[in-house]
Amino acid sequence: MRNTRIPIARIIFAFCCMLILPLMLRAEEVKEYIVIRKQGAEKIAIVLDKTIAKGDRESEWAKSLDATIKGGLDYTGLFNLMPAPLNIRNTQDGTINFGAIGSVGSDIYVTGTVSKKSGAPNLDMQVYDITGKPLLNRKYTGTDNQLREIGLRFCADLVELLTGKKSVFGTKIVFVSNRTGAKEIYMCDFDGQNVEQITSTRSISLTPAVSQDGKYLAWTDYTSGGPDLYIKNLATKVTVAVRKQGVCIDPGWVPGTDECATTLSIDGDQEIYLIRPDGKLSRRLTKSKGIDVSPTFSPEGSRMAFVSTREGRPHIFIQDLKSGQVHRLTFSGNYNTQPAWSPVSDKILYSSMQKNGEINIFMINAGGSGLLQLTSGTKANEYPSWSPDGSMIVFSSNRQGKRKLFVMNSDGTNQRPLLQMDGEQQQPSWSIIK
Amino acid sequence: MTNVTPKARFLYIPALLLLGACCCDKEVVTAPPPPPPPPPAAPAAVVVAPLSDVFYDFNRSELTASTQSQLKTNATWLSANANKKVILEGHCDERGTNEYNMALGERRAQSAKEYLVNLGVDPARLKTVSFGEEKPFDSGHGEEAWAKNRRVHFVEE
Repeated sequence: MRNTRIPIARIIFAFCCMLILPLMLRAEEVKEYIVIRKQGAEKIAIVLDKTIAKGDRESEWAKSLDATIKGGLDYTGLFNLMPAPLNIRNTQDGTINFGAIGSVGSDIYVTGTVSKKSGAPNLDMQVYDITGKPLLNRKYTGTDNQLREIGLRFCADLVELLTGKKSVFGTKIVFVSNRTGAKEIYMCDFDGQNVEQITSTRSISLTPAVSQDGKYLAWTDYTSGGPDLYIKNLATKVTVAVRKQGVCIDPGWVPGTDECATTLSIDGDQEIYLIRPDGKLSRRLTKSKGIDVSPTFSPEGSRMAFVSTREGRPHIFIQDLKSGQVHRLTFSGNYNTQPAWSPVSDKILYSSMQKNGEINIFMINAGGSGLLQLTSGTKANEYPSWSPDGSMIVFSSNRQGKRKLFVMNSDGTNQRPLLQMDGEQQQPSWSIIK
Repeated sequence: MTNVTPKARFLYIPALLLLGACCCDKEVVTAPPPPPPPPPAAPAAVVVAPLSDVFYDFNRSELTASTQSQLKTNATWLSANANKKVILEGHCDERGTNEYNMALGERRAQSAKEYLVNLGVDPARLKTVSFGEEKPFDSGHGEEAWAKNRRVHFVEE
């Protein structure tokens, strides 16, 4: 009897081990950990500890990385960042005192160490929950002039880990500025850093729009004397001009395709057409008397929101691309333009000229419900554009006098300037750029 | 100048001053310029009013009565200058949004062109281009400026 019992016990033990082992492996790094929050509930509380460094060079790196990581996480508006409490490390053995994290009301503890490997920074980041369970343990490397990229790569991983969604880090914003006296296209990082001038035509360059995959930039330019469309392949830098009789204005890209829609008047009336990246006409989308302009597409690319005067004053309409069926989206206000369809949901932003003369940004569901006013109190808040992850909105506003770019969270909170730059800035378009 | 001795320079400067003074005197002395001659009689004996801008109501591309009357005047100029081509530039005021105004500016230019063609002007002589609100005539902010900016501007090609 005894002899038979032992193998059974062993089998049970082995079975238990098989069950436990994957759990132990998972404990090393949890790939998907999403902080459960109520919709619109408070921010995720994070204790962000200073990066540990030995040596002068490393300490300099740590200072720069800390500023980038804190600035980056703060910018998203998702987090409530707290400094580490004094008793975060046990004085005797330097281990983390997880009780201290929970006691300050935080859900998450972030710590890191920067060291020097062959002269270059090597950042080791760890993220824990309040029970001490490691959620992320990752190395970030690069040259010492890539500290910002290194820090932002960690920020991107942390946002994805805690929200389960892509982040704004690494994305770009293209826009128009008259800094040089002429309107030219510029590009900057998601947070307004690294401004770069894209066009130098000394003409009028307007309405830049980058395709959702970051491959192409389209814009309108007056180099030839009239408004023509230009499409630039951002990888090869090859630009094609789309010159047509009449206007060629305000392009919008169709997700999941290489085609962009733009307003042409080759048939007399201003209608929306699809254009291939080689500049060839693909097909005509609208057919109505009056202006059809400013196309923007649903995330799956099957529906288009646009401005039309087919019923008199400018309003936002939605057209199903397959069936061609059109319905009117906006009924309040009598001058609604500049629609922007969320890249991740059925929410549409637009700007509306109000009776008091102000232009403000509104959000509405594609079905017509849930109308929400996001801005107020200044002459013009215009041209909303979603961040590629749908968490933020960039727009132009003259609330401080000249027209400048501002960002806000997608619920309208946390409105603040994007960048400091001479002249006026307008027509921002936020996207991924490879 | 490097070869000029200090003494020579000493003489040279007053000489220049004297010369200058003489010139000034001369100008003062001359009789006032004759009144401009009367404008010569027009060769064809027809005086045609010059091309002039036409104006629009806010967010409108339809022609008002005064717009139509100015377009008739412009049509007369076009028939008197049958070899000239013109560009009709459609413009908007700063209100509203830039992209929409780009389309509206074109509709203004198109409506003006259509009217002129109906008056018998060869459409091949009329080119339209929209500048939206990008090139205001008056950079002010107020109805007075806006009214001047909602226009179709005629430019000889």
